[in-house]
Amino acid sequence: MLFSGLSNVKQIKDTLDVITGIVLLLLSLMLVLYLVPNYIGEPAILQNPMMSPRWLPNIVSWLMLAFSVLLILQGLLVANKSENDERKFIKGSFRRFVIMVIAFLVYVLFFETLGAILTGILATVLLFLAHPVRTWWVYSFAVAFPVGVTLLFVNVMNVPLPLMPY
Amino acid sequence: MKKIVSATCIAACSSTLLLAASLSTANAADWPTGDVRLVVPYAPGGTTDVLSRRVADLLQDALDANVIVENRPGAGSTVGTGRLARGGRDADHTLLMASPGHTIGAAIYPDLAYDPVEDFVFIQNIIDIPNVMVVPASSPYNTVVEFIEAAQDENMAFSHSGVGSSIHMSGELFKTLTGSQMTAVPFAGSGAALPALLGGDVDVSFENMPTVYSHIKSGDLRALAVTSAERSPYLPEVPTLSEIGEYNLDQFTTTAWFGLIAHKSFPEEGYEAMQEALDEVMERQEFQDFAEQLGAQAGQVEGEAFKQFVIDDLARWEEVAQQAGISQ
Amino acid sequence: MENLSEVLQLFLSIDNFIAIALGVVIGVTVGSIPGLTATMAVALALPFTFSMQPVAAILLLVGIYKGGMYGGSITAILIRTPGSPASACTLLDGYPMAQQGNAKKALKTALFSSVIADFISNIALIFFAAYLAKIALNFGAPEFFWLICFSLTIIISLASGSMVKGLLAALMGILLSLVGLDSVFGSQRLTFGNYNLMDSISFIPLLIGLFAIPEIIEFYRKKALPHIKAKASGVGMTLAELKRCMKSIVRGSLIGVIIGAIPGTGATAAAFISYSDARRRSPNKDNFGKGEVEGVAAAEAGNNGVAGATLIPLLSLGIPGDVITAIILGAFMVHGLTPGPIMFQENLSLIYALFLGIMLSSLILLVVGNAAIKYFSLIADIPKSILFPIVLMFCVYGAYAVNNMTFDIWLMLAFGVVGYLFNRTGIPAAPFLIGFILGPMFEDNLRRSLLISNGDMSIFVRGPITWFFIAITFGSIAFAIFRFFKDRNAKLKPTS
Repeated sequence: MLFSGLSNVKQIKDTLDVITGIVLLLLSLMLVLYLVPNYIGEPAILQNPMMSPRWLPNIVSWLMLAFSVLLILQGLLVANKSENDERKFIKGSFRRFVIMVIAFLVYVLFFETLGAILTGILATVLLFLAHPVRTWWVYSFAVAFPVGVTLLFVNVMNVPLPLMPY
Repeated sequence: MKKIVSATCIAACSSTLLLAASLSTANAADWPTGDVRLVVPYAPGGTTDVLSRRVADLLQDALDANVIVENRPGAGSTVGTGRLARGGRDADHTLLMASPGHTIGAAIYPDLAYDPVEDFVFIQNIIDIPNVMVVPASSPYNTVVEFIEAAQDENMAFSHSGVGSSIHMSGELFKTLTGSQMTAVPFAGSGAALPALLGGDVDVSFENMPTVYSHIKSGDLRALAVTSAERSPYLPEVPTLSEIGEYNLDQFTTTAWFGLIAHKSFPEEGYEAMQEALDEVMERQEFQDFAEQLGAQAGQVEGEAFKQFVIDDLARWEEVAQQAGISQ
Repeated sequence: MENLSEVLQLFLSIDNFIAIALGVVIGVTVGSIPGLTATMAVALALPFTFSMQPVAAILLLVGIYKGGMYGGSITAILIRTPGSPASACTLLDGYPMAQQGNAKKALKTALFSSVIADFISNIALIFFAAYLAKIALNFGAPEFFWLICFSLTIIISLASGSMVKGLLAALMGILLSLVGLDSVFGSQRLTFGNYNLMDSISFIPLLIGLFAIPEIIEFYRKKALPHIKAKASGVGMTLAELKRCMKSIVRGSLIGVIIGAIPGTGATAAAFISYSDARRRSPNKDNFGKGEVEGVAAAEAGNNGVAGATLIPLLSLGIPGDVITAIILGAFMVHGLTPGPIMFQENLSLIYALFLGIMLSSLILLVVGNAAIKYFSLIADIPKSILFPIVLMFCVYGAYAVNNMTFDIWLMLAFGVVGYLFNRTGIPAAPFLIGFILGPMFEDNLRRSLLISNGDMSIFVRGPITWFFIAITFGSIAFAIFRFFKDRNAKLKPTS
C-alpha cells in the first residue's frame, strides 16, 4: 500500500510537469493569438515598434510559449528531481476542503452585504469546525477577533470596512 | 383595504412634505448630525490627499464634528467619484475633494457610469495651484517665445506625472495651441519626473508649483511662465502664459484646482453649513500658511459659479483629449 | 560648531523622544498587520503632526516608516503573510525557519539586521547625502533601464530547482503587471473593460494571496496531523550566527542605501537584490529558501537599508522617492519648510536635530522590536487550526482595506489559488513576484528612454553608469550559465 502510493507519486510528477506545460502552452497560445491582438489597443501612428503597448506583452507571451514547450519536453524526458518532494502530501477529508471553500465564498459573496463582522464570525466558525477545534472557549475568538479587528480598522485606522447589513 | 392604503399613503406623503418643509426652514446649525466623511479619490500621499487631510483637520473645528478622510483610489479619480455618484446611506454627510482629475477623467475615460456635472452639488473651490512652465537651468531658452520658436523645427520632450494628469494635459494643450513639436514622457508621479527635469533629460515641464518652487528659488530650474490667469504672488517676475499674446496662448489658463463636491441629494442645510465652515477655514492663519507653502491661492468660486467653472474645464479637456488622441 | 546649542535645544525635547517612540511602536504594529501598510499609517498620522513642533512631527513620521519596514517581517516569518511588500523576500527563509521551530531566531535575525542596516543607512544619509544625491540626479531613464535589467537577472538565482519553471513564473508575473492602462498612450491592456483593473492589479492582495492563502488551502486539504505540543518559537540568534551573517548584512545595507538614494526603485527590489547577492556568495547557498539565517538577514538588511537613504533625495533635492517620503514632504510643507538645497542653508540646525532623532530611532527600533518579538513569537506556538482562520480574516480585511474594494478580496483569493497551484506544480512564487514588480519598470524606462532620445538607441550606452550596469548584467548572466554547467557536472559525476 505504502509502496504503491509512493511509486504513484513518482509517476504523477512527470505527468504533472507535462500537464502544467500543456496548460501554460494553451494559455500562451490564447494570449498570442487572441488576447494580445484583441484586448490591447494600439495607436494608429507609431514611431518605433518598441513604443507599442503590444510590444512587451507580445514578447512575453511568445517567451511563455517557448518555455512551456521546454517544460513539456523536460517533463517527458528528464527524470524527476529531489526538489519535487515538497509537492506531495496525503489528502485529508473532502468535507473539510468543501467547508474551506464555503468559508472563502462567504467572504467574497457576503462581505459587502452582511458586513465585515458577521462574515468574519461566520467564516471563522466554519473553519474552526472544519478542522475541528474541540476546546469550546476558543470559539469565543471567532467572535472577539472579527469584532475587535473591525473596530480597530474602522475607528483607529479609518478604513471604512462595511459594518452592518443594510 | 384600498382606503387604508390610500390613507397611509396620504399620511406618509404629508409627513414627508412636513419633513421637507421643516428641512428647508432649518438653519445650518442642524447639519452635520454625525461624522462627516471626506472622500479622497486618490491613494494616500498625493497632493490631493495631503491637502484634504489639512482641510479636514481645520473643518473639524469649523463644523464641530468629526471629519474622516477616506481614500478611494482607482482609475484616475473615477472609481471614488463614481461611488459617490451612486449616493447611498451616508450621501448627506459625504464630501469629495475634486481636482482636475474630475474633469480630465471624465474627458478621457469612456462610458463613465456618472455625469461629472449633473450628479453632483458643487460646494466650493478651496484652493488653486498654478502650474509652472519650467526648463532646466542648463536650457538655452529664456522666454516662452524662444522656446516655441525652437520647438517649431526641433522636437521637445516634456515630462509629466502620468497620463491624464493636469501636468500632462497642460503640456498637450500647449502643444496644440502653439503647434510645437513635443513628445510627452510619462513618469510615475511628479517626484519621479523631477530628476529627469533637473538632469536635463527632458526639455520642459508644466509642473505643479509646490513641486518645483524650491528648485526655481535655488536656480536649478528656470520658470518661463505660470499657467494661471494672473501672475502668482510667489513668482511675481514670471509672466503668465496668457500674457504672451502670441501663438494662441491667450487661451491658455489652467490651474490645479481643488474643491469640495457632494452627491446631488446633498441637503440644503449641509450646503449652507459647509460654505460657512469653509469661509471660516479659509480665513484661518494655518490655512493661509499652508496655501502659501503650496504657492497656491485661495479658491475663487463657489456654488453655481464653481459648477460653471467645472463645465468649462470639462469642455476644454475634452477638446484637448480628442486632439491629442488620448482616450482610454 | 557655533549653533550646536541650537541643535541640541531643538533636539532635546521630551516631545521628540515621545514622537519617535510612538512612531516606531505604531509602525511595527501597523506594519505587522497584513494590508495595513506603513504608507497608510503615515498618511493617517499626518494630521496629528499639524499641531506639533516640526522636528517632532517629522520624527513621528520617520519613526512610523522605520517601524513599518521592520514590522512587515514579523508576520512574514510567523504566518507567511508579508505585512508589507518589502518583507515578501524575508519570508522565503523566515517562514521555513519558523516551521522548523526557529521562529524566535528568525525574528531576532530580522531585527538585528534591520537595526544594523538602518544604522548604516542613517550614516549614509548624514555624511554622504551630497554625493549620493548626485548619483540620483545622474540616474535617468536609460540608467534605470539597465538597473532593472540587472535586477531581472536575479530571477535566475531565485529560480531554485527548475530554471524553466522559474522563468515561466517571471514571465507570468511580467504579463500580469502589464494589465491596466498603458503608461504612454493610456490605452487599455487586458482590462476587459473592467474599471477595477485599470489601475493595474493591486499589489497587496496579490502578495497576500500568493503567499498566505496557499498555506491555508494546503492546511485544509492535508490529512490532519496531530498537533505536537512543543515550544515552536525556539531560541534566539547566537553571536556566532550574527557574525556569520555580518558580511551579508553590511553588503545588503549598502545595496539598500544605493537603491534608496535613487528615487522610485523601492525597498522590495533592494531586498531581493540583497538576498540573491548573499545567496550567490554564501557557502550555504543550497540552504537558501529552506530556512537559512543568512537569507533572512540579507533580505531585511536590503529592505531597511533603504529607509534612511530615501530621505537623501528628499532632504537634499526635495525629491520624494516613494509615497511615504511624499507624505513626509507634505508634513515639511505644512510646517513652512521646503526640503531641498535651500533648507540646508536656512534651517541647518533643524536638519541636524532631525539627524540626531533619526539616529535615535534605530536604537528605539531595537528596544521596541525586542519587546515585540517576546510576544509575537508566541504566535508560532498557536495550533494552526486556530491560527489560520484568524489569519484568513486578517488577510480578507487587509485586502479590502487597501482600496476599499470587494474586488480586491476576489483578487486575493484568485491569487491564493494561483499560489496553491504554483506550490503543487513546483513553480516558484518569488520570480513571479519579481517579474510583477520589475515588469512595468522595465517597460516604462525603456520607452521613456526612447521618448527622450526621440528613438535614438545610442541613449542606452550614453555614460559610465549605463556601462557599469551593462557590465554587471551580462556578468551576472555569464556567472549563472557558468554555475549551471558546473553544478550539472558535479551532479553527473557521482552517478556515472
